[in-house]
Amino acid sequence: MRVVVVGAGLAGLVAATRLATAGVRTTVLEARDRVGGRTRGIEVAPDRWVDAGAAYLGHRHAELNALITDLGLKTTPTGMVGRSRFALDPGPPRTAPDRFPPLNAVALGEMFDALDEVTRTVRADAPWLTPDAARLDRLTAADWLDRTVDHADARRFFPLFLGEMMAADPADVSALHMAFYLSSGGGIRYLNAFEGGAQQDRVDGGAHQLCQLLARALGDRVRLSRPVRAIHQDGGDVVVHTTGDAWRCDAAVVAVPPALADAIDHRPALPVRRTGPRTAPGGAVKVHLVYPEPIWRAEGLSGWSVDAGGPMMSTVDDSPAAGGAGVLTGFVTGARARRFAGLGHPEQHATVTAQAARLFPELPAPRQIHVTDWIHETYSRGCYAALFGPGDWVERGPHLREPHQRVHWAGTETSPEFFGLMEGAIRSGDRAATEVLTHY
Amino acid sequence: MTEDRLIHEVSEIFGRVLDEDDITAESDFFALGGDSLLATRIISAVARRYGVELTFEEFLLAPTPAMVAKRIESLGP
Repeated sequence: MRVVVVGAGLAGLVAATRLATAGVRTTVLEARDRVGGRTRGIEVAPDRWVDAGAAYLGHRHAELNALITDLGLKTTPTGMVGRSRFALDPGPPRTAPDRFPPLNAVALGEMFDALDEVTRTVRADAPWLTPDAARLDRLTAADWLDRTVDHADARRFFPLFLGEMMAADPADVSALHMAFYLSSGGGIRYLNAFEGGAQQDRVDGGAHQLCQLLARALGDRVRLSRPVRAIHQDGGDVVVHTTGDAWRCDAAVVAVPPALADAIDHRPALPVRRTGPRTAPGGAVKVHLVYPEPIWRAEGLSGWSVDAGGPMMSTVDDSPAAGGAGVLTGFVTGARARRFAGLGHPEQHATVTAQAARLFPELPAPRQIHVTDWIHETYSRGCYAALFGPGDWVERGPHLREPHQRVHWAGTETSPEFFGLMEGAIRSGDRAATEVLTHY
Repeated sequence: MTEDRLIHEVSEIFGRVLDEDDITAESDFFALGGDSLLATRIISAVARRYGVELTFEEFLLAPTPAMVAKRIESLGP
C-alpha cells in the first residue's frame, strides 16, 4: 500500500510515522521549506529557543507527553510565580497578587459560572448534537455575552479571556464553537490554568523539535517545498498533484488546516466545504521581547500582564529554562491582531516597545523583538486554530472527520479532544492512520 | 444560622468549585490548587447565597471556609 500525507505538521508527521512503522510506503508532501506547521522555533540566544507557535502542554495531554518522552525530549515548567500587572482602565497599570485582576470578583465569577454552564452542556464529540445546538450555533460569542452577562467588569474581561483561550474576537466565533473549544480543551479551569492546567509545561528547547525529530526518522519520505494543488480520485486510484509532480497512491491523509484543505482542487469535489464565509483564521500574532535575563523576577513579578489597550493582550514569562535570555511572550489576538498585523515592522516594534515600557517601567528596552504573524502565514492561515463562526458546526461539523472516499482528514481541527492544541493534532494523526490501516 | 452550619455550607461551596471531597474548615484554597478563576466562582457563590460581596483582596486574606464564614458573619446583611 502507498499513502501520501499532505502536511508535515504534528498531525501529518504522527500519521506518517505510524503508517511507515506499519510497513506502508509513505510520502509526506510539505508546502513549506520546513516541517513543523504551527510549531516553529526562534533562536533568541546561542542554542536558546522559544516557541513562535504552539508552546504549552499539561498532564492531560497524554499523547503529547508520551511523544516527548519517546523522542528523548523533556518538558520544563512555565513559571508563573509573583505579582502581575493589569492595565484594564485608563491610568497607570496596577500591580496585583498572582493573576487576580483588579475587577469586581463577583461579576467575573458570574461570567465564569455562565461560561462553565454552557461549556458543560456541549457535546464535544459531536457539537451539532448538543441539545441547544441550533440556537448556540446562530449566536456569536459576543451575542451570547450580551444576553448572559450584565456587569461592565465582566464585559470588559470576557474578550481578553476569549482572546487568550482561543485567539478569537467574540464576534468571530459562534457560541457553540466557544463552548465546544472550552469543553474540548478540558473545561475553563483546566484551559486557563498554568500549574495543574494546559499551560503547565513547555517542551524544553522548543516544541519545534517534535516535528524535526519525527521528520528526521522518516528521512526522505518527507518532501519539502511541494505544495499540493489537487487531489484527484478515480475509483480506487488517488493522484496527489503538486506543481509539476503527481503522486499515485491508495489513500491520502490531508493534515492541513481546513482553509488550506479547501484550497486543494478535489475531484470529485468535496460534498461540503470545510470552511465557509463565517469561518475565520485563528487570530494570533505572537511577540517575543528578549532581555538579557528574566529581570522582572527580581522585582517579584511573574511577567504576566493583561492590557485592555494592547496590542499585546497578555504577556507570559517564557524564558529558556537553561538561562541565557529572559523572554516575555506577548499575545496579540482577535480584532487587535488583525490591526497589528497590518502595521509595518518598525511600527510594530515601536508599539510593543512602548507598551512594554508602560506595563513594566522597571525593565530596560528589549534587546530583540520578534513578531510572528500567523494570520497571514500562507501555509497556516491562522493560529491557534480555525475559528468556526455561526452556522459552521451545524453545517460542516458532521463532515469534518468523514473521509472523502480515499481522502482522510487529520489536523487539530479534526480532533474532538484538545481541538486547537498540539495534543489534538497528535490524536488526529493517530486516528487518521488507524482509519487508513483498517480500511485498506 | 450557627457558626458551624455556616462553615459547613461554605466548605460545600469550596468543595464544589475546587472539585474536592474532603474540605475542612481550615482547608486552604490555594494549597488545594485554587487560582484566580476559581476564586471568582467561590466569591460569586458566596454573593448569591449570603448577599456578601467579597473582593479579591478580602478573599486572599481569608482563603479558608472558616475565614470566609467569619467575613460573612461580620459583613452579612
